[in-house]
Amino acid sequence: MLPNLDRKLLRDLTRMKGQVVAVALVMACGLAMLVMARSLIFSLESTRQEYYEAQRFAEVFAHLKRAPNALAARLAEVPGVATAQAGISVQVTLDLVGLDEPASGQVHSLPDFGPPELNRLFLRTGTWLPPGSRGEVLVSETFAEANQLHPGDQLALLLNGRRKEYRIAGLVLSPEIIFEARPGASLPDNRTYGTFWMPYKEIATAFDLYGAFNDLTLTLAPGAQLPAVIAELDRQLEPYGGLGAYGRADHPSHIRVSDEIRILRTLSIGFPLVFLSVAAFMTNAVLSRLLTLQREQIAILKAFGFGNRQIALHYLKFAFVIVAAGTAIGAVAGVLLGHRLVVMYHLFFRFPNLHFRFDRSALGLALAVGAGAALLGVFHSVRRAARLPPAEAMRPEPPANFRPALIERTGIGQLFSHSFRIAVRNLERRPVQALFTVAGLALATGILIVPNCFRDSVGELLGFQWDVVQRQDMNLGLVEPASLQVRDLLRQLPGVLAVEPFRGAAARIRFGHRSRQIGVQGMPADTQHSRVVDAHYREIVLPPEGLVISAKLAEVLAAQVGDELTVEFLEGRRPLRVVPLVAVSEDLTGIAAHMELAALNRLLGDGDVMNGASLTIDMAHRGAFLHALKQIPRVSWVGIKESLRENFRRTTAASINLIQSIYLMFAIVVAFGVVYNNARISLAERARELATLRVIGFSEREVGAVLITELTILALIALPLGLLLGTGFAQGIVSAVNTETVRLPVIFTLHNYAFATLVVTAASTISALLVLRRLKQLNLVSALKAPE
Amino acid sequence: MDPLTSEPQTAISRRPIFHVRGLTKVYGMGEAEVHALAGVDLDLYAGELAVLLGPSGSGKTTLLNNLGGLDVPTAGELRYRDFDLTTATEADLTRYRRDSVGFVFQFYNLIPSLTARENVALITEIARDPMPPETALQMVNLGARLDHFPAQLSGGEQQRVAIARAIAKRPEILLCDEPTGALDVRTGIVVLEAIERVNRELGTLTVIITHNAVMAGMADRVIHFSDGRVHHEHRNATRDPASSLNW
Repeated sequence: MLPNLDRKLLRDLTRMKGQVVAVALVMACGLAMLVMARSLIFSLESTRQEYYEAQRFAEVFAHLKRAPNALAARLAEVPGVATAQAGISVQVTLDLVGLDEPASGQVHSLPDFGPPELNRLFLRTGTWLPPGSRGEVLVSETFAEANQLHPGDQLALLLNGRRKEYRIAGLVLSPEIIFEARPGASLPDNRTYGTFWMPYKEIATAFDLYGAFNDLTLTLAPGAQLPAVIAELDRQLEPYGGLGAYGRADHPSHIRVSDEIRILRTLSIGFPLVFLSVAAFMTNAVLSRLLTLQREQIAILKAFGFGNRQIALHYLKFAFVIVAAGTAIGAVAGVLLGHRLVVMYHLFFRFPNLHFRFDRSALGLALAVGAGAALLGVFHSVRRAARLPPAEAMRPEPPANFRPALIERTGIGQLFSHSFRIAVRNLERRPVQALFTVAGLALATGILIVPNCFRDSVGELLGFQWDVVQRQDMNLGLVEPASLQVRDLLRQLPGVLAVEPFRGAAARIRFGHRSRQIGVQGMPADTQHSRVVDAHYREIVLPPEGLVISAKLAEVLAAQVGDELTVEFLEGRRPLRVVPLVAVSEDLTGIAAHMELAALNRLLGDGDVMNGASLTIDMAHRGAFLHALKQIPRVSWVGIKESLRENFRRTTAASINLIQSIYLMFAIVVAFGVVYNNARISLAERARELATLRVIGFSEREVGAVLITELTILALIALPLGLLLGTGFAQGIVSAVNTETVRLPVIFTLHNYAFATLVVTAASTISALLVLRRLKQLNLVSALKAPE
Repeated sequence: MDPLTSEPQTAISRRPIFHVRGLTKVYGMGEAEVHALAGVDLDLYAGELAVLLGPSGSGKTTLLNNLGGLDVPTAGELRYRDFDLTTATEADLTRYRRDSVGFVFQFYNLIPSLTARENVALITEIARDPMPPETALQMVNLGARLDHFPAQLSGGEQQRVAIARAIAKRPEILLCDEPTGALDVRTGIVVLEAIERVNRELGTLTVIITHNAVMAGMADRVIHFSDGRVHHEHRNATRDPASSLNW
């Protein structure tokens, strides 16, 4: 049998169900965010960790020109190295039936016999390469999916300029390409870039590297110092064209997953905190109201011998029912949203088995945080109830104390209408309640700013990248540096409007004790394609001498215009040069260094060469052009702006939309819940006052205006605060994303602010109207009777 | 000003302000049916001060609520001059309360966030032909406490603010439901004096409902109410001043 006091609790809850639901939903939003973010962190981290362990993902990576295999055995002896694996990794061009544009990729070698020691593959479908196989490859699943390739299909690769047909044996995943994109590209384009594996013997023969390696991966012994190992590797690999070793922290695929986890961490703390504070206050407001209503009941319970503890527990149970409901809804919503987001991650990240993993500790945390918030919220009211002496409690509460509001005391009081006065005096008498309503509405407004800001910022970045900087339609890279005459050859292809040659040269740029490894881009001084611009998007004409580096690189090197930079080229004859820094350019992705093409060629000292070109083409001849391009074996890769744009729309934009819809839902729930709760409490507390107004001749609309005025004042304070708050949130989150890879400009548009304002206003208005309908049910006759 | 209401109290007009015939009000249905009013016949005239006496549960508050447009009867006739209260819409009733009726309740029902003056001004702002709030408050001898909030006033003072609020619009009717019910004798008398003065000076038809028989002395007419209908009524030859009452 349910104790009668609990039966009372149930009935009280039923009577106040609207408010209970409103509070539980706001709490659920915070907890959903918490559960979702923490579970996603858990899913990504644990899945990645297991994947790394199972496939033995390396800890140090190094690329070089060419070294004898004997060196690999020596490197395995370097102190701190546990396992060393040498292999070959080369760029190739592909010829795919059915794909208009040339595609490219990276081919890695596999041991001729047995599985690799490190970076083992995960076979999704098909078979492994049989020992001693020839003419067969393993293909990355992302690329195969994007091009609808299956085991057994044929694929043409251009190895070192020679075209050869391969049969796809199996589709695989690798811990090295959880995030797979062309090196240096910030967005994946799985259709035109893939990763392939074939036996060492086959690839070594094709590239004339037999008995040698150009790619080295290592794991560290326990207690090994990463910087020391890297320094030793660099020292030993230098004579063999080493391009600089790096650890996992600089591994492009690893970084991308870590960045995502970092963003989730920010989300898992900030937002739930604010949501839960608002929910805690709402619980407090609901319970205070209930206690005021039940003042006499409490007195009677006490008169009959119920102890303070029983009374306090009774009302705490009320709060805990809300917390339990909020936690349950929050957990379910968090899990559902988490599942949807995990599906979204499949667009970017490839794991053998990325499933949503519910972080049980998140549920415990959610329950604890929710209960803590509610406890904090009700502590004061419950203590007040317990302390009330029975005799006093039986008397109705005396009329509330009021005084003229601050704003009236400034002397402009005469200007205000009575409903405005009633509103401001009420607000001033209950500043905390007002504060939290403002906080709730501001929060709802603020969280709407974030995804839109993100979208606008990404839009600005891409606009900058694709419209301001890159005026060309595509870029292509050559297998080997070639004479500038290749430019004339490209110009003769069908549909080509303009061709600009460029040369990229790997180099380590040093200033003082700081250095960065980077590809120095050489291009015509008056380039019309990959323009170099300053912070105000004004074009910088490349001078005949000196380097122009991007602002981020200048910051990393702590170099200023006029400084002399040391450039250590990592290819050709590996010359070491001192070059003046002549200008700083704006670049929002990666770090960059530009030079006039002839100046770069002079520094490298191997003649007037290019290793790539940018082109504008007549779109009417696009098909013919791409077809012709595919016939040129010297082209190793092609990046088409339009397909990158399209790919972006399909992936990043789609995921921003998903996140935006989640935030939109949260914002609506919070705005709606906060206003509903505030209005319901006002209505309940002031039923008598409002009914009196009706009795003495105010129309329903006029009485409604008294309530609405209060909410309107709160909304007018909350909205600008919310826009400010959202601006802060967005700045914080967007700048948390900023790395050397991507620097999002934080963009706030009028449209963003207007949208947030509109959504919150609409949700609040509908909520308020819903409550105002209750004015019709206001019992005029009961207002004349004794106060409850 | 309406000529009828400005007539002295002794000259009661022929034509009643309220015309009530066979008025019934039933709450609930079936077994739980309660006949709060069971066929009330009554006429109330301009300027008179009527005291409606009856035990609690006799239906007098229901009658007052019907007269004041707060409730609609189940059956019967109820007219305020030519205005049929039984068929009026919600908007009509609001307008009627706003223009013609002043209410005084047992528990004052002031707006706690407004001062005495503002509580009165709230009404004078929406009324057709109001008196200044200060004048209304002077009539109830509260000219000195204009800017006090309800919490700063005693019960009797609060009730007098309520009276000032009720009369500031110069209503034709003043309906008082147990106006001294929550007050001690001395403050009760002060409140009744205020009501008496309003009736005398403004000629407002005043209906006081009470279960306190002592108040019958100050009335022009005493209407005894029981079991939902008028039991009998009598007219006082002279009205006792409120100050002479004691209970």
